[in-house]
Amino acid sequence: MKNQANPWLTSNLFVLALGLLPAAVLIGALLYFTAWAFAFSFTDLALVGRKAVEWSWVGWENYERLFTRRGFLESLWTTVIFVFFSAIVGQSVLGFLLAASLRGSRSTLRSVVEACIMLGWLLPDIVAAFLWSATTSQTGLINQLIIVPLGFPPVNFINQYALPVVIIANIWKGTAWSYLLFSAALDSVSREVVEAAKVDGATPFQRIWLVMLPIIRPHIATNMLFITIWTFTYFPLIFAMTGGGPGTQTQTLAIFLYNQSFSRGNLGFGSAISVAMLVIVGVLSLFYLRLLREPK
Amino acid sequence: MLKRGYLTTAITLSLLTSAAIPAHAEISIMYMESFASLIEEGIKDFEAATGETVNAIKLPGQGYDQRIALDLSAGTAADVNLIDSFMVSELASAGYLAPLGELAAGWDQYQYYLPGLLEVASYQGEVYALPTDTDVRMLWYDKSNFEKAGIPMPWEPKSWADVLDAAQKLKDAGVQYPFQLPAGTKQAEAATMQGVYMALLGADAPEGDRNRLLNRETNQWIGDSPGLRRTFDLYYQVYVEDELNPADLNYATDISAAVRQALADDKLGILASGSWEDACLWDCNNPPSREERDAQVGWTPWPGSGEPGTKPTTNISGGWTLGINANAADKDMAFQLVTAIFDEENFKAWTLANHRMAVRTDISDSPEYKEDAFLAAATQLAADTTGRDTVPGYQTVSALVQQATADILDGAGVEDVIAEYHDALVDEFGEENVITYE
Repeated sequence: MKNQANPWLTSNLFVLALGLLPAAVLIGALLYFTAWAFAFSFTDLALVGRKAVEWSWVGWENYERLFTRRGFLESLWTTVIFVFFSAIVGQSVLGFLLAASLRGSRSTLRSVVEACIMLGWLLPDIVAAFLWSATTSQTGLINQLIIVPLGFPPVNFINQYALPVVIIANIWKGTAWSYLLFSAALDSVSREVVEAAKVDGATPFQRIWLVMLPIIRPHIATNMLFITIWTFTYFPLIFAMTGGGPGTQTQTLAIFLYNQSFSRGNLGFGSAISVAMLVIVGVLSLFYLRLLREPK
Repeated sequence: MLKRGYLTTAITLSLLTSAAIPAHAEISIMYMESFASLIEEGIKDFEAATGETVNAIKLPGQGYDQRIALDLSAGTAADVNLIDSFMVSELASAGYLAPLGELAAGWDQYQYYLPGLLEVASYQGEVYALPTDTDVRMLWYDKSNFEKAGIPMPWEPKSWADVLDAAQKLKDAGVQYPFQLPAGTKQAEAATMQGVYMALLGADAPEGDRNRLLNRETNQWIGDSPGLRRTFDLYYQVYVEDELNPADLNYATDISAAVRQALADDKLGILASGSWEDACLWDCNNPPSREERDAQVGWTPWPGSGEPGTKPTTNISGGWTLGINANAADKDMAFQLVTAIFDEENFKAWTLANHRMAVRTDISDSPEYKEDAFLAAATQLAADTTGRDTVPGYQTVSALVQQATADILDGAGVEDVIAEYHDALVDEFGEENVITYE
């Protein structure tokens, strides 16, 4: 069947244009801001001071400094670790395991687990940051409840294991999304297919690995796409918990960008960092989008 | 990300203002929570006198400097703003602040401001903000922990070695934060002023500004010097080599709250900070009685390093100011709000109650001020103080200094940190504006 547009709409180009206007404005704004960051990444624009008004073009200098000065590559590595362990391994795998193990059960257990992981997701980042800081402090809950009763001296977690702590905090915070998505995806896998596999003698592991996973592959890719993008640029939880420290232990690219742009006040360099982040996330997205395609 | 930051600020603020705008033009002010008792009294007086409503935006101290810079540059700032004094010249040079000369000419209390402090808030000979307070810096110490560590009081260290020695004793006595020396980017200006600059001033002889970040005669930033190396080495000893302090207080979710808590829990040994702590170690707006405070903590001037030719004690002063947005719709009314806040009765009461160092002669010459033992001692310390290098570019340099201390916390050696700092200065200001002292 041919795709037929509404004849009233096609005869009223004005109405059609009017309807497109919000979309055009949105796309225009997106392009404008991206172009702004891109253009100013070639300048020495500053947040305050004389260079805030009398900036000049500096060519590729800002991009060279990404690689010749301390900060960018170190932060990129921290970001990769943070994204890999908290989003891809933590949220995604944990979310899937929870969804798979609670699948089909209508028990109170499922409701309780769902409510619990939703709480983490719903809690504002700043509240969560205070909560985790307090929990992991030397006199915090973990020390009082586990470490000290077992006879060990109390551990100052933020001081010694800052990155693992923020990774765990982010897993706790973000697993709900993956859980919900996978849970919906698994519900859409038809019971007949799974039963048929069971009849054919597939073990539970085989049923998940060979039957369910291939069916929900697009969902996995979509989930990866989302959580990678937003974990890569995630800012508030880490900023409030550690501000990138101690030292630069938890300085992800988003924090590095903030420090360079707004503390150091170098918007030109900050723009170069944001363009670099855009490119990295863009490449990752392309990779996931390819995963989304059905295999031939 | 960057643009999103801007956009969100712009949208949030425009939503905030549009939601709050009444029929007639209203006036807005943004300030830090720790100044609430000064500013809110002034707002009350202003509203009573004019019948206007003031949109008061009260914020926590964490990230306040960045917020002010961002709001002013994005054009979304309030009409009147509380601004850290070091930022004034830089904000003025970008055209974000309104000059106050003409507005202040008609105000009878303007004459009392100390000229040196007005100069800090000036750019190219024009005053852009009026100071709220000034300060001096010192080492605070917890008396009970000093007793536990067997350190005689009153504590009077004569060199850095004495300070490190005390810190070691405190550490051996089981004090969790023996020497809280502000470091890292989250401490922001506190790392530069309360930590690095206080050490740097005593790290080398003052001749030729060898003990500073800037050579004030040639206006060149100092990228490498024995003073800087000794200062960073002090940080290295405290945080890496001798592990005299865990780093985490510098990265707490709310640093000043965490420091207050550490003091309350008897976990603090020595704290490098300033005169405002005489109130703010407990509650800036409502400190406990003199006796309670004296029983808990004492203070001593920062000693010099002990190297030949260095100063015996060091001090640097900062302070806060109120400035008017260049885009304020009604600058006369904005200035009227400023004068209501700074009106002698309100200003004097706050200065005395909060133990701030006075910025006006009518207050500093008053008998109540002179009789106060703490303020008298602080004023004595202020006789030999110096100011920040409040020339445009300081904010950037300060951020680079903070970055350098953060790198030390990571374990980077002094050599690496100095090289990185020097290169970053050259990146920002050009080879010709950066010098090295042998």
